[in-house]
Amino acid sequence: MTMRNLSESCTRVFRAIWRRGSGRYALTVLGLWMAVAVVSLFWTPQPLLATDGYHVWAAPSAAHPLGTDGTGADVLSWLMAGSRTNLVIAALTVVCSGALGLLLVGLMVSRRAGLGSVTVAVVDALISIPTVLIALLLTVPFGASVGVIVGACSIAYGLNLARVARPAAMLAARSDYVGSAFAGGASGWYAFTRHVVPNIAPVLAVQLSISAGTSVLAEAGLTYLGVGVGAGVPSWGHSLATSVKFINVFPLTVLWPGLVVTLAVVALNLLGDALVRVGEEVAR
Amino acid sequence: MRFIAHRLLLFAAALFGVSVLVFVALRILPGDVAAVMAGTAATPDRIAALRAQFGLDRPLVVQYLDWAGGLLRGDLGTSALTGRAVVAQVGQRASLTFPLILMSLAVALAIGLPLGCASVLARGRRMRGFLHVVAIVGGAVPALWSGLLLILLFSRGTGLIGIFPSQGFPSEGWRDFGRALASLVLPSVATGIVAGAGIMRYTRAAVGDLVDGGAIDMAMACGMTRTQAVLRVGLRLATPQLVSVVGLTFAQMITGVMVVESLFALPGLGALLIGDVGNRDLIAVQSELFLLAAFFLTLGLVIDLIHRALDPRLRIGAGSGESAARSNGGER
Repeated sequence: MTMRNLSESCTRVFRAIWRRGSGRYALTVLGLWMAVAVVSLFWTPQPLLATDGYHVWAAPSAAHPLGTDGTGADVLSWLMAGSRTNLVIAALTVVCSGALGLLLVGLMVSRRAGLGSVTVAVVDALISIPTVLIALLLTVPFGASVGVIVGACSIAYGLNLARVARPAAMLAARSDYVGSAFAGGASGWYAFTRHVVPNIAPVLAVQLSISAGTSVLAEAGLTYLGVGVGAGVPSWGHSLATSVKFINVFPLTVLWPGLVVTLAVVALNLLGDALVRVGEEVAR
Repeated sequence: MRFIAHRLLLFAAALFGVSVLVFVALRILPGDVAAVMAGTAATPDRIAALRAQFGLDRPLVVQYLDWAGGLLRGDLGTSALTGRAVVAQVGQRASLTFPLILMSLAVALAIGLPLGCASVLARGRRMRGFLHVVAIVGGAVPALWSGLLLILLFSRGTGLIGIFPSQGFPSEGWRDFGRALASLVLPSVATGIVAGAGIMRYTRAAVGDLVDGGAIDMAMACGMTRTQAVLRVGLRLATPQLVSVVGLTFAQMITGVMVVESLFALPGLGALLIGDVGNRDLIAVQSELFLLAAFFLTLGLVIDLIHRALDPRLRIGAGSGESAARSNGGER
């Protein structure tokens, strides 16, 4: 597949997703998310570290569109800056879990029989370990950071990806075209990248979009537990966690970060759904 | 039989692997547990004495063998900070966390199974769309947020309809059964909603596949109504897959369970673990992490065995574990 073909098929998939109502919502939210993340690098309604001591827990106003929190920090500014962190986490999780998943799938379908079955066994055994335990294990040596979230999510989702993609990969690896590729002297790497990967690409795309959504939820949970992004790093989980403590007094402030998280995760899940449908259409 | 032996061997190997992994990860940590215990005004002598007392000055292999030998005898060591046996601490906390997990799972099943079946049965376009939205949105809510909304709605004191205690667990524990149960209601609903949306999606996918596969048509041809066919034949045929899903849901709920434990101020396993990680209580964290990982590995083993016992197709041979993980979802 040349670069040109790849970009053409990407455009086709993009159009097919856009044609569906839910896909349009998903793409719009994701576009907005990215735009806000970029904008927040240059501009936020208030500087991040500015605290407005005279307007603590302020109701929404022109200066503070979503109000302020207990230190007088602007809620909207923090949410905007948080979108940046969450975007980075989601993107890195997609890349790393995708790479790990592909590596594991590659080992599973490798022609050395022993290697394949050992990998399958390892994946089967480790799949039941929860993300939060991996995160805790990583936190002790490395301390709470974005990297710990990405690492934990990538390991957990990568294992899951390998397990979900295995049937399709096995089918492709045993197919006649892979056999004839080998007969023609192709290397295992060539057969894998040229024949197996395109066959599992639809499963991969769906799983990765869901993983991106799950990483947002994981960030919120882990940050609240104190093993997520470090102190002072803006993120949606951070905004949610700081407002939680004062829920009895100012319940409204909790609304915004929760809403943002839910909208983003819904968008990524809908994108996954739309990709399934598009995949079915293409198959037909 | 060969499968079971194979799976058990794998389980033992995984336990060993996890124990090594936990041990190594915790020993490369920069924060020295002895230095933490000795405090900021510690002399190097004092730190060295503490290291000797806890055996941290021995070679790593000896330390590992000592620890692993203890695990085999059921001795998880003593917490370096509280001086209490880790077994006792874990046991006490688990008496809160396990009922909480089971109640969350019950809520998730009570939500997910009926709604999943309903979305297979739904005829109208609107109804289907609505249930689809429920599944997607339900799975996208952070447990923290659903917990907060539940507090705002139903907790005594702050809620609109104050029925349930908002925080804490009775100090008498389960001897005060009514209050203990009441204090777990809101937390388990908070995690159960999210997990329930996941189960709903899985149920729809598993039962929906059977509809496509013709099993439901066959049952209807034998005289059942569509509803009967889906509920009696579809659900039963999908049971092996749903058992696998429940196993995965278990593991995925744990983040949520830890979050609600903290949110509702419940002294559970999650709180213990988070506290010990924060305090760098090396020995306790090591044993607790291993114990939890071992629990989930055991769960995976049990689920695999049940799945196999329930699904006769797998016994004939060429079964691929394809059904076990169709898609992921929920807060892992």
